[in-house]
Amino acid sequence: MADYDALVIGGGHNGLVCAAYLARAGKRVLVLERREIVGGAAMSEEVFPGFRFSVFSYVVSLLRPEIIRDLDLPRHGLHILPLESTVTPLANGDYLGQWSDHDQNRRELARHSLRDAEAYDEFGRLMYQMARAVKPFLSMAPPDPASLAPRDLLGMVRIAKQLRGLGGDRFHALHKLLTMSAADYLDEWFETEALKATKSASGIIGTFLGPRSPGTAYVLLHHYMGEIDGVFRAWGFAKGGNGSVSAAIAAAAREHGAEIRTNAPVAKVLIENGRATGAVLENGDEIRAKLVVSSADPRRTFMQLVGPEHLPDEFAQAIRNFKFRGSSGKVNLALSELPNFTCLPGAGPHLRGAISISPSIDYLERAYDDAKYGEVSRRPYMDIVIPSMIDPSMAPPGKHVMSIFVQYVPYKVNGGWTDAKREAFGDAVIDTVAEYAPNIKSAILHRQVITPADIERIVGISEGNIFHGELALEQMFFLRPVPGWAQYATPVDGLYQCGSGTHPGGGVMGASGRNAAMAILKASR
Amino acid sequence: MKALVLGSGIDALVTAHTLARAGHEVTVLGKRDGEPSPHTGWIARRVIANLDLERHGLSVEWPDPWVSAPLPGGARLALWRDVARSADEIRKLSARDAGQWPKFCERMQAIAGVLEDLYGAPPPDPLTHTPGGLIDLARDALRLRKLGRQSMDDFLRLLPMSIADLLDAWFESDVLKGLLGAQAVMHLAQGPRSGGTAFNFLHHHVGSPAGVFRQARSNVRDVLSALPGIQRLEHEAARIEVQDGGVRGVVLDGGERLAASLVVCAGDPRRTLLDLCDPGCFDPELLRALRNIRSRGVAAEVTLTLARDPGFTVLALAPTLDHLERAYDDSKYGRASSDPYIEARHEAIKEGAHRAHVHVQYVPYALRDGTWDDARRDELAKLVIAKIDQAAPGFAASVLGHSVLTPADLEHRRGYPQGQPYHAQIALDQMLWMRPVPQLARYRTSIEGLYLCGPAMHPGIPGATGANAASVILRDLKKSK
Repeated sequence: MADYDALVIGGGHNGLVCAAYLARAGKRVLVLERREIVGGAAMSEEVFPGFRFSVFSYVVSLLRPEIIRDLDLPRHGLHILPLESTVTPLANGDYLGQWSDHDQNRRELARHSLRDAEAYDEFGRLMYQMARAVKPFLSMAPPDPASLAPRDLLGMVRIAKQLRGLGGDRFHALHKLLTMSAADYLDEWFETEALKATKSASGIIGTFLGPRSPGTAYVLLHHYMGEIDGVFRAWGFAKGGNGSVSAAIAAAAREHGAEIRTNAPVAKVLIENGRATGAVLENGDEIRAKLVVSSADPRRTFMQLVGPEHLPDEFAQAIRNFKFRGSSGKVNLALSELPNFTCLPGAGPHLRGAISISPSIDYLERAYDDAKYGEVSRRPYMDIVIPSMIDPSMAPPGKHVMSIFVQYVPYKVNGGWTDAKREAFGDAVIDTVAEYAPNIKSAILHRQVITPADIERIVGISEGNIFHGELALEQMFFLRPVPGWAQYATPVDGLYQCGSGTHPGGGVMGASGRNAAMAILKASR
Repeated sequence: MKALVLGSGIDALVTAHTLARAGHEVTVLGKRDGEPSPHTGWIARRVIANLDLERHGLSVEWPDPWVSAPLPGGARLALWRDVARSADEIRKLSARDAGQWPKFCERMQAIAGVLEDLYGAPPPDPLTHTPGGLIDLARDALRLRKLGRQSMDDFLRLLPMSIADLLDAWFESDVLKGLLGAQAVMHLAQGPRSGGTAFNFLHHHVGSPAGVFRQARSNVRDVLSALPGIQRLEHEAARIEVQDGGVRGVVLDGGERLAASLVVCAGDPRRTLLDLCDPGCFDPELLRALRNIRSRGVAAEVTLTLARDPGFTVLALAPTLDHLERAYDDSKYGRASSDPYIEARHEAIKEGAHRAHVHVQYVPYALRDGTWDDARRDELAKLVIAKIDQAAPGFAASVLGHSVLTPADLEHRRGYPQGQPYHAQIALDQMLWMRPVPQLARYRTSIEGLYLCGPAMHPGIPGATGANAASVILRDLKKSK
C-alpha cells in the first residue's frame, strides 16, 4: 500500500519545484531532504554570527518566469533585487564597466573602443533573439530523435519548424553559438580584451573547458537567457540570499499540500519487480509511493540510490561516462569594511554590482592551463559580489559579506583535497583579490572556503559540478543525461529524474523540476 | 562553354576534368610544379569512377603498419591495417584496450560512413524550401535514422566532444590515446581536450578502412595532371573581371586578358573574392563573414633527405594526450612548441635514396617574440631530428639535408592562408552548410558565373570538393540553357 503518490528525493530547488507542481495537481507528495534545511545548493546560512551568505549559488536570473507565476513565489516571500553592473579591473589600473544604463554603458565602452561601443547594441539584439529562439526548448521534454513514437516524431518536426522559422541569419548564428568557442565567437564582434574576457567567462562557468575551446559559446547564451520581471539578461539577488528562492518554492509546495521532511537522507530507492516503489531511509525506514522522483544528480541517482544491478548495461555505462568534473569553488568573506578597489576607489555604485576578475582571454586560458594538469589556477577567474550592499540584512550594520565565485578549481586536484590545500586555495584567491583591492586582507573577519570536493560532501552533487553535469553540447537536450532517456523517465519503471542533470540543466532555473512534473502528470493521466 | 579554372591542386583538376567531360572547353591556370599537398591521399570512389582514374594509373598507398610509436625501453608499438594484428600489439600495453579495439574501430567506421555519405554531395541546406532540397533533407534524415540507435546516438553525441573524453571512455593506454589523439588535432589550432576534436578525428577517418586512423597517400595529383582533355596555362590570375554582376574573364599576371563566362577558383575564398575581385561587388555582411573565417596554420613541414632507410614507415611522437595538450599550450601564446607532436613518414625515392616527410605541430603562423627566419627554421629542423633520433637511434647521422616550411612559408609558397592547408579550419562551425561561410556554401558566389571549388568548400576533402563543385556548376548550366 503506497503512503504517497510521489516521493521526491532531494529538497533542492528542482525537487521542490517538481513537488509543488505535483501537489498542485492534487498528488500526495513527500519531499525527502538529507540535510537539516531545504534548498540544496540554493541555500542561505548564517555561517558566522550576524553574517548571512548564499553559500553556494549566489545570483538569480534564470529562474523560469512561468514558475514564479504558477507558484506565486512573490507572495511566498521571493523578492529579487537587481544587480546593476559588472566592473572588470584591468592590469594597468584602469577598469572596464558594463552598466545597466544604456547611455552610461555606451560612453564607458567608447572610452575603450568606439567600434565595440557600436557593436555592443547589435550584439545584444542578436543574443536576445537567440535566447528567445532557444527559450521554447527549455520548457519542453526533448524529443528522442531515434524514436518512432508519434510524440517524438511530432516533437522533431516541431523543432525543425521552429529552427527553420528563424531564417538564415539567426539560424546560422545559432549554429555558431552551439559549435564555437566563446573566444572565437566574441572575436567576431569585439576588440577590447577585457570585454571579450568578461563575456567569455560566462561561457566557461561550470565547464572544464577553456574559453578557446569549441562548445563554450553556447553557455554564453545560456547565461543570456535570464530574465527578471520580463527584462532579459538581468541578474539579481534574492533578498535574504538564494535560500529565499528555495524557501519560497517550499512554502508554495506546502501550501499545495506537499509534505517536506528534512534530516531524512535516502539510502536506496526501493525497487520491486523492476519497479520503483518507494525509498529506504538511512535509518532503515521504508516509505512507499506510487512513483519516485530523484532530484539528485544522475550518477548519485543511478549508481548509488538505484544501483547498476537494476539498470541495463548500456545505460549504466552511459551514466558512468556522464561528465561532472566540478571546476569551480567559492570563497565567502565576512568583512569589517568595504573593499577599496584601486581602479575605482571608494564606495561607488560599482560595489552594488559584480566585480569580474577577467582582464583578458589569455588570463582565463592560463587559469585553465593550471587546472587541466590538476592544479588550482594560480590566478583564477573570479566573480565577486557584495550582497550586503543591496540587502543590508545580510551583515551587521557597517559590516559586509562578500561572495567570490572562483574558477578553475578542479575536483581532481593533484594529491587530492586536504585542509591545507583548501586553505592554500583560499590564500591564492585572497592574494589575487588584494592585487586589485589592497585593503581586503585587513578587512577580513572570517572566511569560508568551498572546493568542489566540499560541494560534493555538503550538497551531495557528484564531483561538485554546479550544473549536475557539465553543460557541454554532448550532454545537452536529447542527450542529457543519456540519449533516449532525456524525457525525465528512466529505465526503472516508476522512477523519474527532475534534477539539473536533466534538460535544460542548472543555473537555478527550476525548468528541470517543472518539466519533470509535467512529464509525470502527462504519463499518469 | 569556355571555362577557366584557377589553381593546380586536386580540386581544381577534378573540377576542370569533370567540366571538360561534360563537353566544356576548359583551361586551367596555375603553376604545374606546385609541391604535392600533404593530403593527396584518399580519394572519393565517385571521383575515381567518374574520371576513370584507375585506368590512368592511380595508386593509393596505405603504409603498413600505418603508424608506429616508441615505447619506453626501446620497443615500438605498431598498428596495422589488420585489426586483429593491431589488437595483438595493443595487448602489450593493455589487455582491456586490446579487447576494446575491434569494437572501437567498428563504431568509428560507422560514423565516418555517415560523414562520407554527407561529403559525397553538396551540403544539405536545412533552410531550403525547394521541393528538391526538402527531398534531400528527408533522405539525409532517413539515412541517419536507418543507422539504428547506437550509431545515431554516437553520431549526435560524439561530434562535439573532445577527443580526450572520447578516448578516455574507451581506452586506458596513454600511448594508444596519444597516437589516436594526434589525428584529432591534425592541422587544428586546438588541443585534444578542446570540444570538437572528436569531429576532426572522424573527419580524417573518412575513406580509411576500419582500424586505420591515418590518411593514405596517392599519386592522384600526377594522374590528374597527365589526364588529357583540358588546356593548361602556366600563369596566375591577377584579376577576375566582372561586369553587370556576371563574370567576364580573367586578367593574367602578364596583363593578358582571357574571356570566359565561367570561372572556378580553387584558391582561398578570401583571396579570391577580396583580392582578385573588386570587394565592392559584395555585400558587407559577406565581407565580414569572410574576414571571420578561421584559418590558423599550426603545423610546419620538414623534409629530410636521408642516406638510408630509417626503419619505419610512419613514426609518430605523441606519447600522451597531455603531451599534445602541452604542445598546444605553447602555440596558444605564440611560441613554437619546444616538444611538438612529430610524425615522420618514410618515402623511398629511388635506388638507395630516401626521404622523411615530417609533420610538426604546434608551430604557430606568427610568433609572439619575432618572426620566422632561417636561424629559427634551422633550430626547428634540429629539434625535429633530435627528437626522431631519440626514438630511432642513428637517425640523425643519416640526415643529409633538410628543408623547413613554416606556416608562414606555406602561405607564401602554396597560398595556404596563415599556413592552413584546408584554407578554412575543419571545425563544426565551418562545416556542411557553414563551410566556409553560409553565403558561399553552395559553391556559388553572388557574381554570376563565378564559383569556388577549393579546400575551404564542403567537405574540404581533396577531390570530393571539386566533384561537388562541378556537379553544382553543371546543374546550373543545364538550368540556364
